[in-house]
Amino acid sequence: MKALVVYPNRELLYAASTLGGEVAALVFSEREAEAVKGVAHRALVAEVDPRLPDAVAEAVVKAAQSYQVVLLPSTKNGKTVGGLVAQRLGAEFLTDVLSLRVEGGVLKAERYVFGNKAVAAVEAAPPVVVTVAPGRFQGQPPAVQTAVEKVALQVGSKMKIVSVEEKARGAVKLEEAEIIVSVGRGFKKKEDLQMAFELARVLGGQVGCSRPIAADLKWLPEEHWVGLSGKKVKPKLYLAIGISGQPQHIAGILDSRIIAAINNDPSAPIFQNADYGVVEDLYKIVPILINKLSKTKG
Amino acid sequence: MKVAVLVKTALDTGQLRVRDTVATEETPLKISDIDRNAIEEAVKQKGQDKAYAVTVLKWGPLQKKAQEAENVLREALAMGLDEAYLVADERLLNASHMATAKALAAVVKKVGADIVLAGEATVDNYTGQMPARVAAELGWPVVTYVRELKVEGGRLIARRDLEDHVEVVEVQLPAVVSVTREINQPRIPTLLAIRAAMKKPVNRLTLADLGVEVAPRIAAAYKPLVIQRKKVVIKDGTPEEKAEKLIQYLRQEGVI
Repeated sequence: MKALVVYPNRELLYAASTLGGEVAALVFSEREAEAVKGVAHRALVAEVDPRLPDAVAEAVVKAAQSYQVVLLPSTKNGKTVGGLVAQRLGAEFLTDVLSLRVEGGVLKAERYVFGNKAVAAVEAAPPVVVTVAPGRFQGQPPAVQTAVEKVALQVGSKMKIVSVEEKARGAVKLEEAEIIVSVGRGFKKKEDLQMAFELARVLGGQVGCSRPIAADLKWLPEEHWVGLSGKKVKPKLYLAIGISGQPQHIAGILDSRIIAAINNDPSAPIFQNADYGVVEDLYKIVPILINKLSKTKG
Repeated sequence: MKVAVLVKTALDTGQLRVRDTVATEETPLKISDIDRNAIEEAVKQKGQDKAYAVTVLKWGPLQKKAQEAENVLREALAMGLDEAYLVADERLLNASHMATAKALAAVVKKVGADIVLAGEATVDNYTGQMPARVAAELGWPVVTYVRELKVEGGRLIARRDLEDHVEVVEVQLPAVVSVTREINQPRIPTLLAIRAAMKKPVNRLTLADLGVEVAPRIAAAYKPLVIQRKKVVIKDGTPEEKAEKLIQYLRQEGVI
């Protein structure tokens, strides 16, 4: 199927190449066109502000006429553009897909549903709009000749960006962490989080947190926040301490290899989503863990 | 300001039974979590005007679930919305998102709202596409992932919570807005409000009532998630023994 990739990155271009048709990349500047040279058959340059979903959607609708699939990243603006485009094209919109293939002229995909208790196998006839869950499509797009073309557009946006504030960013890169020690409302005061930092240090990991810690209490900056509105992580060990396990949090930790949880409430939903759960007061067990692990690790 | 709130009468995934199959028919409905924030915001923003709950029933069987959806909508009414619209039609069960958006937009046109509020995503399917689709259908601007909202003189100023930054944006009303859970603290209705909600109107509509035509294009089959967690729970022993056991397990897994 011929695919149009919007906000292109290597993973999206690779996913598009597996569909077996021409791959076009919709980009927003000459510089971005340069970046997709050699990995997409066509680079379509639309001079619109990529931050304005309605303007981007306009460009996509215009460019999408000769494509059967529109692929976008699973970002917030990616999903906003996807929704607008899908409705205007009369297309289905499959979000956060884990897999993607063409069979009998139909696009088939899988995605997590129902608080990650199930996998849905979905299929839709073209045109289809898709966002791809990050990290699922590992491979290199094949080398091809790229034709660069301009998309002629007259678009205005109904939205005006008044200002942009960068979120505080430190050295935390949760997306890349192998071990994450994550903290939740079970911690009674901000100073107590020190325990989690100490445990993370001993394990060689990073500290994450649930929504209330970052959003309501603001005990940690948002870069630590794991979940639907925060970051999606995929460590080999996710150790949830004092986190009850709301579906929004679980959505962020699905791809962890092993999930361990410590909570004093045996009915906390986190235990249903963990490989190893310990029912215990975190104030009692965390110091013991720090002690034992620091000894063995020397 | 007249407000329409898209309230998803979602499957209560906490109560979903998953063994060999996924039992959606037996699973009760509830207000999709983040939609509570949209309802709360509607109550704050509506002023002297009215705020409506609008839902499309997506899960069958129709007869049983339509009654349940009505009860769910009573909760939204108890939180302070004035009237509810439930589109219950066999053709919308598991139907395409496009059809759902058309039905929702048709109700919005019917009630004549200045602003449409919705949660950023729903708890059962989590696709988060409906606000943008409804906006496209209405031809209104859409502002997604809003964590702060202000309306003054026909303009809407919002803080959008994006991955690495917060964007302050402005649009003219009417507009569709999706909110995050950070925008407010949803109220818990008082007993009095719950009683009062029993008297508020819940209107049932079909696609024919709305003049909407749909052609389903999507198919979905559900199966239990294959990567089930091991769910080993360590309950017994002293904190010391429990810690030892956890470390042992994690060593066996080779993750520490």
